[in-house]
Amino acid sequence: MNLHHAPSSTPLVEMVDIEKHFGGIRAVNGVTLDLYPGEVVGVLGHNGAGKSCLMRILSGAMIPSKGQVRINGQDAQIHSPHDARDLGIETIYQTLALADHLDAPSNLFLGRELKTRFGSLDDGRMMREAVDVLKRLNPNFKNLSDPVSSLSGGQRQVIAIARAIYFDVKILIMDEPTAALGPSETAMVSKLIKQLRDDGIGILLVSHDMHDVFELCDRVVVMNKGKNVGSHRIEDVTKDDVLSLIIKGQLPDDWVPRSQETVQ
Amino acid sequence: MAETDRSPPLVGWNLKLSASSFHKLSALFTLACLIIVFSFGNPAFFSINNGLTVLLQTAVIGLLGIGMTLVIITGGIDLSVGSVLALSGTVTGLCVKAGIPVAPSMAIGVCVGAACGLFNGFVITKMRITPFVATLGMMLIARGVALQLTGAAPISRLGEAFGVLGNGSLFRIIEKGANGFPKVVFPGIPYPVILLAIVAVAAAYLLNRRQIGRHIYATGSNEEAARLSGVAVDRTKMIAYTLSGALAGLSGNVLMSRLITAQPNEGVMYELDAIAAAVIGGASLMGGIGNISGTMIGAFIIGVLRNGLNMAGVSAFIQQILIGFIVILAVYIDQIRNRR
Ligand SMILES: Nc1ncnc2c1ncn2[C@@H]1O[C@H](COP(=O)(O)OP(=O)(O)OP(=O)(O)O)[C@@H](O)[C@H]1O
Ligand SMILES: [Mg+2]
Repeated sequence: MNLHHAPSSTPLVEMVDIEKHFGGIRAVNGVTLDLYPGEVVGVLGHNGAGKSCLMRILSGAMIPSKGQVRINGQDAQIHSPHDARDLGIETIYQTLALADHLDAPSNLFLGRELKTRFGSLDDGRMMREAVDVLKRLNPNFKNLSDPVSSLSGGQRQVIAIARAIYFDVKILIMDEPTAALGPSETAMVSKLIKQLRDDGIGILLVSHDMHDVFELCDRVVVMNKGKNVGSHRIEDVTKDDVLSLIIKGQLPDDWVPRSQETVQ
Repeated sequence: MAETDRSPPLVGWNLKLSASSFHKLSALFTLACLIIVFSFGNPAFFSINNGLTVLLQTAVIGLLGIGMTLVIITGGIDLSVGSVLALSGTVTGLCVKAGIPVAPSMAIGVCVGAACGLFNGFVITKMRITPFVATLGMMLIARGVALQLTGAAPISRLGEAFGVLGNGSLFRIIEKGANGFPKVVFPGIPYPVILLAIVAVAAAYLLNRRQIGRHIYATGSNEEAARLSGVAVDRTKMIAYTLSGALAGLSGNVLMSRLITAQPNEGVMYELDAIAAAVIGGASLMGGIGNISGTMIGAFIIGVLRNGLNMAGVSAFIQQILIGFIVILAVYIDQIRNRR
């Protein structure tokens, strides 16, 4: 399987005992999770399980109530999306986080605009770079200078993806990145995920699509009511095992790791 | 290659036209109609002298409107500009009275305006108070301070130098007439008009070509998205409100200089003219949309309307009624545009 890291190497990301409370609601309740370079970890769970909250904590969009984050073995203080980006953490948010009235290049470079020698915006270069990266994801991408509010859901998602991979990414968080995409764009994203993984990038993939999860992930982490109820190598579980974890919060009673099944 | 990608298909171009340029064209058309109607009504309307009067009157609304546009694009509103205008003007007047030369006095006045704007920005971003309420508070505070400082009395006899900014002009040509009296051949371009042109170009450059401008649009378009993209949203808003305050201070100086008197009662309800100029020019009160050229057209529409109605002998009360309806109409058009 896709084991690109030696088991002893330092994890890229370690999230330890993370908690996030909203008043009485415990959206994330003591989750521990790690991610190695060149690894794709699927983060699964029912709606409202706390997946997005956990991802937003890592990307600096949300401050945890409790817990620690370590990047490359070092304690990291992630207080803002800016801090996360400085650490090489890029995020495709479930909400996409696009500025509707701006065009695709402006969104792609938002917060990291390219400038000329005189400090003014270099819109020409931003447009050319945007054309390059967007056409790579979707060869049919048009309307680059229209406000993104006039684009389709899929096109908007492509912009969000392009924004995450254009810059020097080391840790990629994808919160349901293919929810609005057609089959060929989804295939493109799958190919992209494998490419990035082979380049040694660590990827956290939030998805409800079992087919994608089993095709792309090396490991799955299942969340249920804010807790991590299971972290398994993908070859150890079946779809039914994972579904049971998602729905009931536990594995079937008769479960044994599949990789050991043959031994017994 | 990238160039061919940039040029959108014909349909796209048409769509574009209907979105933003269409609004600007219709505003320009309205302006032209107003000028034609008023010219027919009164031949004196379409003269160089009256043209300059309109320009002069528009300069104040225009300066306020530019600041207002920046704030409106961030998704906010600044109701304090009329009062800040008065406070800045009176502070400048008091400084001149105290013996400080005119230029530094005016700089102090503008800084007081900027400080009011910064305070607005602070209240809005750090205390999380809605722009409407925060700037409404500043509207009362600034007016109160201006009245308190002066005992509600105008400060007059400020000297000739104080009047230069508001009354002077560039390229004025005067000839000795046959009877020995000087005759004005060309009244020149008034300083306030030159000031407006410079500020408008600078503001347009800021909005379109600088990072802060891009961030102003992004903040008003989707504040959360801007924040997640690493835009310093609070800082961006503070800058917008500070600029609005500074421009209110500048226009206060222009206005008081023109009157050669510092009037703590000046500028009442000017914020509405500024908002009207921005909205007529296509700025959206929902944020994310607006531009300087549109606001300039809007300011001229209001300037021409006021001037034309004055010359036609329409009372100030009727003018208020008319402009009130025009503002409602402009906002209504804005809403229809957003619904599409
Ligand atoms: N800003 C917030 N304020 C209050 N409660 C919140 C906030 N954000 C999330 N929650 C709550 O936290 C819980 C977890 O939400 P989260 O968005 O992480 O779920 P999710 O697993 O991503 O679900 P989905 O599959 O629907 O995307 C939910 O009960 C939600 O209502
Ligand atoms: Mg979610």
